[in-house]
Amino acid sequence: MFELGPIFRALLRQKVGAVLIALQIALTLSIMVNAIFMMQNRSTLMARPSGLDEANLFYLSNTVFAQNYPHQAALQDDLRLIRSIPGVLDATQINAIPLSGGGWSMSLQKKAGEGEDGTGVAVYMVDEHGINTLGVELIQGENFQNTDIRWRAASAVDWPERTIISQAMAEALFPGNWQSALGQTVYINNNEPMQITGIIKTLQAPWNGWDGVERSMLVPYQLEGRNSRYMIRTEPGRRDELMPIVEKALAESDKNRIIRGVQSLEQTRADSYRSHNALNRILLLVIVVLTLITAFGIVGLAMFSINRRKRQIGTRRALGATQLQVMRYFMLENLLITSLGVLIGVAAAIGLNIWLVSQFELKPLEPALLLTGVIALYLVGQLAVLYPARKAASIAPATATRSV
Amino acid sequence: MLKMKQLGKVFHTGEVSTHALREVDLQVNEGDFVSVTGPSGSGKTTFLNIAGLLEVATSGEFLLDGDNVNLLSDSKRSKMRNQKIGFIFQGFNLIPELNLFDNVDVPLRYRGFDAKERKRRIEQQLELVGLASRMKHLPSQLSGGQQQRVAIARALATSPRFLLADEPTGNLDSQMAQSVMALLEDINRQGTTIIMVTHDHGLAQRAKRQIFIKDGRVSELTAVEGLHSAGLERVTPLHAHTVTDAARQLGV
Ligand SMILES: Nc1ncnc2c1ncn2[C@@H]1O[C@H](COP(=O)(O)OP(=O)(O)O)[C@@H](O)[C@H]1O
Ligand SMILES: [Mg+2]
Repeated sequence: MFELGPIFRALLRQKVGAVLIALQIALTLSIMVNAIFMMQNRSTLMARPSGLDEANLFYLSNTVFAQNYPHQAALQDDLRLIRSIPGVLDATQINAIPLSGGGWSMSLQKKAGEGEDGTGVAVYMVDEHGINTLGVELIQGENFQNTDIRWRAASAVDWPERTIISQAMAEALFPGNWQSALGQTVYINNNEPMQITGIIKTLQAPWNGWDGVERSMLVPYQLEGRNSRYMIRTEPGRRDELMPIVEKALAESDKNRIIRGVQSLEQTRADSYRSHNALNRILLLVIVVLTLITAFGIVGLAMFSINRRKRQIGTRRALGATQLQVMRYFMLENLLITSLGVLIGVAAAIGLNIWLVSQFELKPLEPALLLTGVIALYLVGQLAVLYPARKAASIAPATATRSV
Repeated sequence: MLKMKQLGKVFHTGEVSTHALREVDLQVNEGDFVSVTGPSGSGKTTFLNIAGLLEVATSGEFLLDGDNVNLLSDSKRSKMRNQKIGFIFQGFNLIPELNLFDNVDVPLRYRGFDAKERKRRIEQQLELVGLASRMKHLPSQLSGGQQQRVAIARALATSPRFLLADEPTGNLDSQMAQSVMALLEDINRQGTTIIMVTHDHGLAQRAKRQIFIKDGRVSELTAVEGLHSAGLERVTPLHAHTVTDAARQLGV
């Protein structure tokens, strides 16, 4: 036996408090749902694979301060040394670190010439150990040979003949037919031809906010200069153990340079998404605080109205209401108030979402999320009103005759 | 039938214990109309509350239709209240946010009648108290006498066998009081047992039985016996007051 009718009619005569709480519920619902929506979007971004064997990668910087340094020979010595350390799977020199926020970008075009359209791409310069070191998956074509590797002097602008590109880059160059990219010649720097000799599945650019973040290319280049970076891949689980060992081995092998900035790729990922994570945490806090405020509002309104209606509750008890029936009255009343709030809230949530989607080019809100928010608020309402409702149920029946 | 044996009620507030009722022995039979008088603070409301299952005695026995109510759970007592007892109050205690229809509906919903049956009873009772045409009115739109009539309709809607009234005319002018009293007498004639607490000696005398409470002790004024209720069984009060004693205390 529900008494929604009379509860509703009684509410209509005492609507100010109820409407205010309903509006608060509406606000909470619309913000909660959209905050979760934003969090989900951000989490989806963060969950995109970089394509690397992140857990077992670290890198370091090598800065040479000596004059007349034999850069090319020293680099080969360094890489040989690193690769010989037990537990190290492979190592390569690399110009930029994925996820780090800093790197090189170029543009590839299908036709030579200044006026032709190009597609932006992140450039990673590696040797023939690059693919194995990064742990990226070669899905078409072949890896670089040792003979492909060219030295890039600080001033040179002479690109190698070969490149391996990511599938996303292939798709961007040859929409709907990325496989056909293999063997094609594309042009860098407007006019320099490069042949696509391999396609890797995934390799993210260093910039996580770039909408072309999946577009990247490997170039068989070795850099000759005062600053270089080595990427090292270890056997699974041995990264932390090997980081100081490799650093020490390099530092001791040659006193004419310094080794610094030894960092794991996991750390780089954490740094890269720090603001995303922080924002998600702030949104979560907003949700929690709003929900708590709403819950307290519900408790407050219910306590107030129960105190005001003490004699009425006593009278209901005198007329035969059980404690459970008194409790149910306030739970049902809350259900009605929450329903009004949810009704307004769903409309507001959808409105806010339409605006967010138009502003930030997101996919629209999923109905399941909205439904979850609605259920959550009903639960919050019922939980919040539980204590006041129990208070109401404990009002003595004799209150009907005692408090005149 | 309502039977109290050596019933007592003590209120404890902090260090103070108030003996609101002491050693009450009383039987109220089917069809009785009992008026309860006594000085303020003497225990009248306590007596009525216990009789109406709103409070539980702290000692002695209280049997309602043979059930020892002291032993019942709160929920059982509530249901029994709903089924057997109708209450009217000095302050009418109508629910201000509900119209007359919904007010009379309150105990019917607790009983669990279906909508049709509830509607039938509400209309019938409001008809009986002469307010059928005001069903959609709010209590605040009625006079005190009319509000009390609605309260009576609400109390009777569940067809209770006992109607308990705590100073039902206390907030009414004498004309309205008379009409409410007439209504109660009418209801009693139809078979409902009534216990009514009142300050009004004139109204008290119109009851079939008169009970007097002082300092928590109940006594019965037997002088009226011949007048109204010859042949009804009586339990002799333990601490019988004489008629003159009682009359003196009432200032008659
Ligand atoms: N809930 C309570 N707590 C403490 N004392 C109470 C309570 N209710 C009534 N009393 C005391 O019990 C006595 C009888 O009260 P009551 O039955 O209300 O008297 P009456 O209705 O005759 O005026 C009074 O002394 C009153 O103060
Ligand atoms: Mg009283």
